[in-house]
Amino acid sequence: MDYEKIKLKDGVTIHKINTTKFKTNLFAIFLTTPLTRENVTKNALISAVLRRGTENYKSQNIIAKELENMYGASFDCGIDKNGDNQVLKFYVESINDDFLPEKYNLAEKSLKLLVDVVTNPLVENNGFKKEFVDVEKNTLKQIIEGKIDNKGRYALDRCFEEMYKGEPYGLYKYGYVEDLDKINEVDLYNYYKELISNCKVDVFISGFDMPNSGENQILDIFKPRTANYKVMTNLYIENKIDEPREVIEKMDVTQGKLMIGMDVLKLKKENRPAASMYSVVLGGGANSKLFQNVREKASLAYTAGASYIKAKNSVLIRCGIETKNYKKALDLIKEQLNQIKNGDFSEDDINSAKQLILASYKSIKETQDGEINYYFSQELSDEFVSIEKNIQDIEAVNKEQIVEIADKIALNTIYFLTDNN
Amino acid sequence: MEVIDCSIIKEKAYVDKLDNGLKVIIVPKKETNKKYIIWGTNFGSNDNRFIYPETGEEVIVPDGVAHFLEHKMFEQPNGTNSLDTLMSLGLDANAYTTNDHTAYLFECSDDSTFYKGLDEFMDYVQSPYYTDQNVEKEKGIIGQEIMMYDDDPGFQLYLDTLKCLYEKFPIRIDIAGSIESIAGIHPDILYKCYNTFYNPGNMVLVISGNFEPEEIIKEVKSRLKPSKDIGKITRIFEEEPEKIYKDYIEKNMPVSMPIFMIGIKDIVVYPQERVKRHLAIETILGLLAGKSSELYKNLYENQNIFGELDYEYEFSKNYAHVLISGQSNNPQLVKNMLITQVEKLKKDGINQNDFDRIKRKIYGDFVTEFNDVASIGRMFLADSIKEVNSFDYVEKFDDITIEYATQILHEVFKEDKLALSVVKAN
Repeated sequence: MDYEKIKLKDGVTIHKINTTKFKTNLFAIFLTTPLTRENVTKNALISAVLRRGTENYKSQNIIAKELENMYGASFDCGIDKNGDNQVLKFYVESINDDFLPEKYNLAEKSLKLLVDVVTNPLVENNGFKKEFVDVEKNTLKQIIEGKIDNKGRYALDRCFEEMYKGEPYGLYKYGYVEDLDKINEVDLYNYYKELISNCKVDVFISGFDMPNSGENQILDIFKPRTANYKVMTNLYIENKIDEPREVIEKMDVTQGKLMIGMDVLKLKKENRPAASMYSVVLGGGANSKLFQNVREKASLAYTAGASYIKAKNSVLIRCGIETKNYKKALDLIKEQLNQIKNGDFSEDDINSAKQLILASYKSIKETQDGEINYYFSQELSDEFVSIEKNIQDIEAVNKEQIVEIADKIALNTIYFLTDNN
Repeated sequence: MEVIDCSIIKEKAYVDKLDNGLKVIIVPKKETNKKYIIWGTNFGSNDNRFIYPETGEEVIVPDGVAHFLEHKMFEQPNGTNSLDTLMSLGLDANAYTTNDHTAYLFECSDDSTFYKGLDEFMDYVQSPYYTDQNVEKEKGIIGQEIMMYDDDPGFQLYLDTLKCLYEKFPIRIDIAGSIESIAGIHPDILYKCYNTFYNPGNMVLVISGNFEPEEIIKEVKSRLKPSKDIGKITRIFEEEPEKIYKDYIEKNMPVSMPIFMIGIKDIVVYPQERVKRHLAIETILGLLAGKSSELYKNLYENQNIFGELDYEYEFSKNYAHVLISGQSNNPQLVKNMLITQVEKLKKDGINQNDFDRIKRKIYGDFVTEFNDVASIGRMFLADSIKEVNSFDYVEKFDDITIEYATQILHEVFKEDKLALSVVKAN
């Protein structure tokens, strides 16, 4: 078996992926917890503080030297939003010993370091080290304020914020500056202890010739835990119809960013492949309605596309356009939406869209992170669907089903980031 | 066909120079389902003045031509667009333009469609079709692309750094040109560029994936169209002074915190020295500004930078420089501390433990590149255009001694070759 799932105990799962495609082994630990306004900033801060030092590696400098000695093993951590969950992700990637000039037991060393960072933080006076928390609070503040630096990303996040006002998914994954002042190193450490005892823990081990000690090492650490974990799985979302909102925001920009958030109303689980196809016919690649008409025919944009957000059953359109072309682009986009509704697209369009989605499924196993994230997303939905089954489902989608999705599409929010004029 | 064996990382490259001058590199990867092909020409934004082989006349092109030409390669006489055709086969097709090359590529995770894709791919790169109408239409799209980069602080910072380091060399000009410069592009100029630079003798094709080298070479050969030998291409560059043009530049843009880039201008060396020099500079940069460095520790803990310091050595046949960048409220302080650290390293000498540790990291980073057929393809193409052999990054590893690195440290890291570029809010 290429993929083996070992449930160590309630809420703690090891996923072993056996693959010979790569020069590296990849180890990851994901901590999953419900996304809430109360904890969103604390979670983001914890992932930043943990990488600063452990009881065994007391500073970032010592960790950095260890990683360099481990033939440039890389440690990475991040925060993600998956539906209404917040996920703290920690990774160590290192070269397989087969490709080193010497035997170094890199796999074992890597897993050990990763587990240490996540579960054995440096503690002083019953809290995280104060200096770490103070610096990381500032750094996180900068990340949050740095939202505006990438205009496309900023516009996308703002559109989600407007679409899901007052709901978990509308929260910014790095949290809020106003929360930071209230957080101190002792409270944060107490919150961490609660998190690590109650979150869902997924450990991923991808590569070949893997250390066998992994399971025991992880079991030992989580043995005392009596989990009380909760994960949000939403497979059926009603998605209520609201009056579509138009939000216009001004900034000192040269190019305008137009985002259109749409709900797929009352979508049943079995219709998800059709929703996926709908978004690709609309704006998935060079053959899509948006690319062909907004970019190629009207020369209005360089970027024009759409994506389907499975966890929320929504479709998001994004375009970078000249600010004066706002109305023109909006009308043209609405015309594309209507065309799909009226079945005004060809079998070729459908086939192109299918090929694009199939190619993305077929390439999942070609990157270690891609494969890990695929299995993780299965873990967060209430049933396991194999890549092969997903491929079959996409192949079976027909035109009527795509038109059916178009009928369920409701405009939620039009967001436009424009210049100061 | 030449076989280059890099046994320590268990990879081989097969290199063949075909009769028409095309260089083909195959890097077989048995374990992967992904196939990657990239076809590049040694023609980038720097090549803006050359002798047209057909007539011997000197041609000066508007800024942004190489990139414009890349966009226009997809259009076909029968009205189809090859990008659409490839994508509708489920192939991930793309193209890009750099300072010194233009590349066309596709990636495929399905055996059955690769050869259909290869038909279309090799056909469109060999079939230019430019009309007044299709050239005019592209100006709007590229105009939007240029405006997107106008709003990208990181890109503006990078370009400004190059504007400081270089006085004449065209690397200081935006690859895409400007809305004004592309307005002057017409089919005739595109054909002149195509006929000069898209000659097989000026091109490199790299293929990586589960292939038998002999077989795939045959497939490539059978899809080549007739071409004529145009000899060596003459490119004209004004002489670039060794000194930097300016030592400081600043731009105002809406950013949450100032970003900075420090550039250090280097000289161009002979091809056989390039990899060694690159490795030595990479090692020095790791010692100076890497995550385990004294400088990084001080800057980070005192909140004088946020995030990491990024650094790299960029070079081609015609230019070379070091870039160090990050986010800071006090870029000038970062620059001064870097200079102090360079002087300290020159005075104290390089510590053997530190040196060995950073070298191991560089080794690991290089091996990781071989995880993915796409990064293999891009690496072999870019290195080939620079006239270096990618495997030398492992083979020449032991040649990098402390003595050599010390010599390079003194030669390259000089204050009078250093410029600072800053982007900050009003």
